[in-house]
Amino acid sequence: MTGWHLDPEAIRRYAEGAAPPDLAASAEAHLMKCATCREAIASQVDTRRVEAIWHEVADRVDAPRPSLPERMLTRLGVGEATARLVAATPTLRGPWLLGIAAVLALSAGAAQADERLLRMFLVAAPLGPLAGVAVAFAGGLDPTREIGLATPYPGLRLLLIRTTAVLAVTVPIVAAAGLMLPGSHWVAAAWLLPTAGLTCAALALTARMTPVVAVGVVATAWVLVTTATALAGDLDLTSGIGAQLFWLAVTAGGGLWLVATRDTVTIKLGRSA
Amino acid sequence: MTTVRVRNATKSFGRTTALDDVDLDAGRGVTGLLGPNGAGKTTLLRIMATVLAPDRGTVTLLGRDPQRPDDRTRIRERLGYLPQDAGFHRGFTVFEFIDYVAILKQMTDRRARHDEVRRVIELTGLSPVSGKRIRALSGGMRRRVGLAQALLGDPDLLVLDEPTVGLDPEQRLRFREMISHAGEGRTVVLSSHQTEDIAALCTRIAVFHRGRVRFTGTPGELTAQAAGRVWAGTQRSAAALAAWRTGDGVYRNVGDPPAGAELIPPTLEDAYLLLMGENELEVTHS
Ligand SMILES: Nc1ncnc2c1ncn2[C@@H]1O[C@H](COP(=O)(O)OP(=O)(O)OP(=O)(O)O)[C@@H](O)[C@H]1O
Ligand SMILES: [Mg+2]
Ligand SMILES: [Zn+2]
Repeated sequence: MTGWHLDPEAIRRYAEGAAPPDLAASAEAHLMKCATCREAIASQVDTRRVEAIWHEVADRVDAPRPSLPERMLTRLGVGEATARLVAATPTLRGPWLLGIAAVLALSAGAAQADERLLRMFLVAAPLGPLAGVAVAFAGGLDPTREIGLATPYPGLRLLLIRTTAVLAVTVPIVAAAGLMLPGSHWVAAAWLLPTAGLTCAALALTARMTPVVAVGVVATAWVLVTTATALAGDLDLTSGIGAQLFWLAVTAGGGLWLVATRDTVTIKLGRSA
Repeated sequence: MTTVRVRNATKSFGRTTALDDVDLDAGRGVTGLLGPNGAGKTTLLRIMATVLAPDRGTVTLLGRDPQRPDDRTRIRERLGYLPQDAGFHRGFTVFEFIDYVAILKQMTDRRARHDEVRRVIELTGLSPVSGKRIRALSGGMRRRVGLAQALLGDPDLLVLDEPTVGLDPEQRLRFREMISHAGEGRTVVLSSHQTEDIAALCTRIAVFHRGRVRFTGTPGELTAQAAGRVWAGTQRSAAALAAWRTGDGVYRNVGDPPAGAELIPPTLEDAYLLLMGENELEVTHS
């Protein structure tokens, strides 16, 4: 047996959780060896607090450690529940991302040879992130879609979480491809506002149609309007100052609409309900 | 109290009429849907799970209208659903996946949610594999994961599409126990091709054929319909709608017995085959 014991004041402070870390550590070391002090402390500790601590410890031990991407997201300040939802986004799987990266790298390479392809980059660039948003909601690619549809999770919130995650991953890929282009770097950035505007427009349309259809509508309209002029060498509709301001306005308007309606609007995540 | 009330529900996919003017009520206990492939069971269960809306007709679930957004959310808060071909994020562990569905079910407090996830994992006997990735599980184990997620939050309405498919006999028995336990004080609607499961579990059954309800009642009432219409013989009878040779070499014939046939007590399966055979005749003759 040890010759000394914790003094009553130390026991009280430890029991209340008010002991400074060094005192707590030495008290714990002593408590491991000394039954007398353990008893003394047991009579003082608030049982509710003990249960809460025990519960937390048991949960930490029992709940498996989240996967690496989820841990990285939580470190960036994303909530653990949101991180799990992001990890389940179909777009964010390796093969799909490698796919877009490869296509863009190829087209950037081809643009070195043919100037028309350079112009087409501005038309094509927003399609990568848009396709990512569509993939995030394509029924065939989300294996748990059917289970998810039957849950009360707000469709708009899921839509925003997944869209943000998709943009966070696809935009840097497209930007990297843009930097590989010959000529001005402005061209390599001019697609950003159209992409943001097109995405907002697609999100707004999901009040009427499923995300996949909404993206299809928006992407088709964009390609139809811009391809002919871009091929002819006129980039006003894509990177002109007027076009940039227009897309800035669409983005701001779409963003405001989403904020204003987020509690009332019903998003069509599924075909019929 | 009726938890599920379906009236005149019709649903078509292109030119296929999956449901044709269907009425169905389900209350506390286990209600079973029986019927051949393509009869419309899944379509009706998806409507009950708020995933699909009928083209025509009215549906009331837990006293609310799933067509109205607010009501739909309230229904979903009290609903558990196991789809027929439930998919999983195969890279998630069992715990992570069920926790993911719990997040979608709006369980916001992490610790309470984890407790609930552990509870359903325990209930479905998945504790030994809770840290395993779903892609590493056998098909039957995955089915259990599907059931576990449906049980999250102790829902008042459980919709289970072929919950016992692909399970070995021991697991089927376990599932039966879990489902009948869930049916105490709750409404469970399930579909199955296993007439023994239906006979063992269900307080009421509805038999579907080509999108229509052909029978509703208790399993006993359905079985009674085949009384006097099942007989044993040394050969297949031409008068039978269905006949097969059993393990002991005797032919089991179902239909209108010829004179002097040795009648035997019917099972639920006999009655089901009889009903299907008669419906097929009716369809081909009209
Ligand atoms: N999403 C869909 N698109 C097109 N046709 C469909 C769809 N869902 C169901 N059907 C059709 O509707 C009919 C009823 O199908 P359902 O899946 O409801 O049958 P079931 O009774 O569940 O069959 P099984 O026992 O094989 O699961 C079938 O003819 C099927 O082909
Ligand atoms: Mg089915
Ligand atoms: Zn001591």
